[in-house]
Amino acid sequence: MSEPQSLIAEGVSRRFRAQVAVNQASLELMPGKITALVGPSGSGKSTLLRLFAGLERPDTGRILSGDRVLSDARTALPVEKRKIGLVFQDFALFPHLSAVQNVMFGIRGLNKPDQRAAAEAWLDRVGLHHKCDAYPHQLSGGEQQRTAIARALAPRPVAILLDEPFSGLDPSMRDQVREVAIAAIKTANIPALLVTHDASEALVHSDEIAVIDTGKILQTGAPESVYRAPATLAVAKALGPVHSVNAAALPDAWQRQLQTASGTLWYRPEAVQLGDGAEFPIIRTRLAGPITEYELALSDTERLFAACQPGTVLRNAEMLAVRINPDLFYDFGDGSI
Amino acid sequence: MRGVISWRLPSATALPALLVIFMVTLPVCTALFAGLTVGGGSTWDHIFTNRLLPYTATTIFVLVLSALLMLAFPVPAAWLVSRYEFPGRRFFSWALILPLAMPGYVMAYAWADLAASPGPLQSALRDATGWSARDYWFPNVSSAPGLAFVLASTLFPYVYITARTAFSMQTSTTLDAAKSLGANAWERFWRVGLPVAIPAICGGLCLALMEAAADYGAADFLGVQTLGVGIIRSWNSFGEPNTAARLALALIMIAGAFFFAAQYLQGRGGTQHTGSKWQTPKRGRLSARHSAIATLLCTLLLLICFFAPVSRLIWLSLETRASAADLVPLLRATLILSSLGTGFALIAAFVFTLAAKNDGGLRFGTRLAAAAGYAAPGAVLGLGAVYILRETGQALSASIAILLLLWIYVSRFTSAGVEPLNATLDRLPRNLDNAARSLGSGRLARIWRIDLPLLAPGTFAAALILFVEILKELPATLMLRPTGWDTLAVRAHAYASDERFAQAMLPSLLIVLAGLAPVLLLSWRLSHSERQP
Repeated sequence: MSEPQSLIAEGVSRRFRAQVAVNQASLELMPGKITALVGPSGSGKSTLLRLFAGLERPDTGRILSGDRVLSDARTALPVEKRKIGLVFQDFALFPHLSAVQNVMFGIRGLNKPDQRAAAEAWLDRVGLHHKCDAYPHQLSGGEQQRTAIARALAPRPVAILLDEPFSGLDPSMRDQVREVAIAAIKTANIPALLVTHDASEALVHSDEIAVIDTGKILQTGAPESVYRAPATLAVAKALGPVHSVNAAALPDAWQRQLQTASGTLWYRPEAVQLGDGAEFPIIRTRLAGPITEYELALSDTERLFAACQPGTVLRNAEMLAVRINPDLFYDFGDGSI
Repeated sequence: MRGVISWRLPSATALPALLVIFMVTLPVCTALFAGLTVGGGSTWDHIFTNRLLPYTATTIFVLVLSALLMLAFPVPAAWLVSRYEFPGRRFFSWALILPLAMPGYVMAYAWADLAASPGPLQSALRDATGWSARDYWFPNVSSAPGLAFVLASTLFPYVYITARTAFSMQTSTTLDAAKSLGANAWERFWRVGLPVAIPAICGGLCLALMEAAADYGAADFLGVQTLGVGIIRSWNSFGEPNTAARLALALIMIAGAFFFAAQYLQGRGGTQHTGSKWQTPKRGRLSARHSAIATLLCTLLLLICFFAPVSRLIWLSLETRASAADLVPLLRATLILSSLGTGFALIAAFVFTLAAKNDGGLRFGTRLAAAAGYAAPGAVLGLGAVYILRETGQALSASIAILLLLWIYVSRFTSAGVEPLNATLDRLPRNLDNAARSLGSGRLARIWRIDLPLLAPGTFAAALILFVEILKELPATLMLRPTGWDTLAVRAHAYASDERFAQAMLPSLLIVLAGLAPVLLLSWRLSHSERQP
């Protein structure tokens, strides 16, 4: 097998009638790395996946595998010739074939017994060896999705694209299925694209994150750097909760630390933590699992949100002493989106 | 750029699909064309006043009356069955579909005999009262109202099924809300349940009326001059092909209007359950008196529309002891024609289904073609075939007649085969095709490895429905069959028309028995799908 190549989108656009679904998007999916494509619904992430897969043709721009053009505005290599594995939210297992027959479906160039052996090895890798002969309707949702991932990887594709693969699963089994699936994808050492609207899934399981909104790639980079240093408010919102505060309402010492030009600052809730910086009265307390969220009164109109892990949960009207982490405060300029 | 090939491959299913679209629509288009273009002048005046007007008026009268009958009794029955528990409910809920197994003409034979002066009903009346035949009035089945009654008796399950489905799909929360606002049982039906279900019910009614408009056998036997009868009489007896073409045009417009109305209404019917919490309603209990009324209504419906006529057929068949030897050539012709017709229509249905699935551009064309054939009455298609024959200058030899007849079967019934196949496809995950493509399967490989195996379960239902529909077909078979190729339907019609009533019974009974198979399958499916969450 040849050296794994990057899968690249170069300035691709795709419009459906009047609506631009993907707008001048460029993204490189590197071998051995899982790139998460994150964005709200309708942001164009599934369309970009379909452009990579060849299910859609770009109006402008190109899709390349290494330096080989897969599609551009005039020509396109059909899906069935791309050798790109696809995994769908609805699993899309062939209902008339058993698990092992599903996995055998795309394996070529081997005789039947060898195909079966290869397929069984893949099912073994995702922990389903004992379900080889079960039909899709006899498998649980998580087992169906693991079979779908084994099926996509078995033909040794040049890349794998996963469209919301875990969002159809019961939350109780999602983590376990995800661990097994991600491990199997990692061993294949090919470019992998994980389309998801679940920011925490993207942050935990990807090597690279690309944030997309209204068809444009807003920022790419390592999960931590994109999370901690979002370029725009939309990126910040895509990866987790952010709040705004009028800088003038903050204590002077904090204002000197933060240095804002526009007057409005955005921050992650964990930017405000327990510590001896300043004290404010608690207006509202919300216990959210291991973390407690406090709404504090800076003044009559301004609020400050803090996410902390206190020893005991404090009540309304009590005073809370907090300090800030300036790295998690952002100044996006006036009304920046 | 090596290895990159042009984006749009010619579709492997497009060419056969275009060919089948042409085949399916040609007869109805020919009939339409003939209807629009045949001569005018004084002949047209004659056609208009003496033929078109009276035939159309009679047809519309029959349709209106049967529509009223189909709404008056089956809709309340459907409401009771889906909303309340009463003795026999489970049995009635599926058994009320049984009348679909009886073609209109068989129902007409049975009721003409049951209600005749020497028949069992009037005999019983005279025995009970001591009257003579001149002392009382009794409804005459051989009349336009009689035809409306006969057609409503066989076709009401269309209305019943859609009404029952619509009623049992309504969320119980809206009805609970009505209850909390003080609506009693009657008001809940009249002000909430019924209005919400009206689009669906009217959709079912329109399909039933389309079938009623297409009837030839019952009207001809009962001597009612409907358009269907007019077409075949104008062609066969009066030697007026122009009249036949004009009448066919009127009939196809009526049937087509009902078809498109049904499509429109059924599309709207889908918007009725908007509640996010979808709860299957719990059936209410009825008081003893109301239970008795519900059971009585359903029993009478079933008795009048199925068990009484079928028992009469069985009784008369046993009484006459028709020799089995007479049946052999009929069965042979029926089996050969129905099997061949089923085979061809099934191929056409496969081509349509696969083309519509794989090629968005063809979806509309295949749908329209199937719909055009389905909405066209057999008499119209038969006429279209004869016109095609005349235009091509062919003589109607036996083999050509059989080919033409098979062609008409395909044209008329392909849509009946497409439906179960599509229902099978609809249940499958949307991305199967994309998954197969990403695993390297080309279009033909996908048809072979994915589509055909997955369509297999739908194929059985499609073949069964097609076989029985073709077996029951009367007008086109009557017009086109070569000598020696009488089917059960044609012979039953011939015997009944010759007043050799007793002989007509055994072929009729066999048709009903065959017709029961797809009806039972349908009813099993309906109750099965209701039980699923």
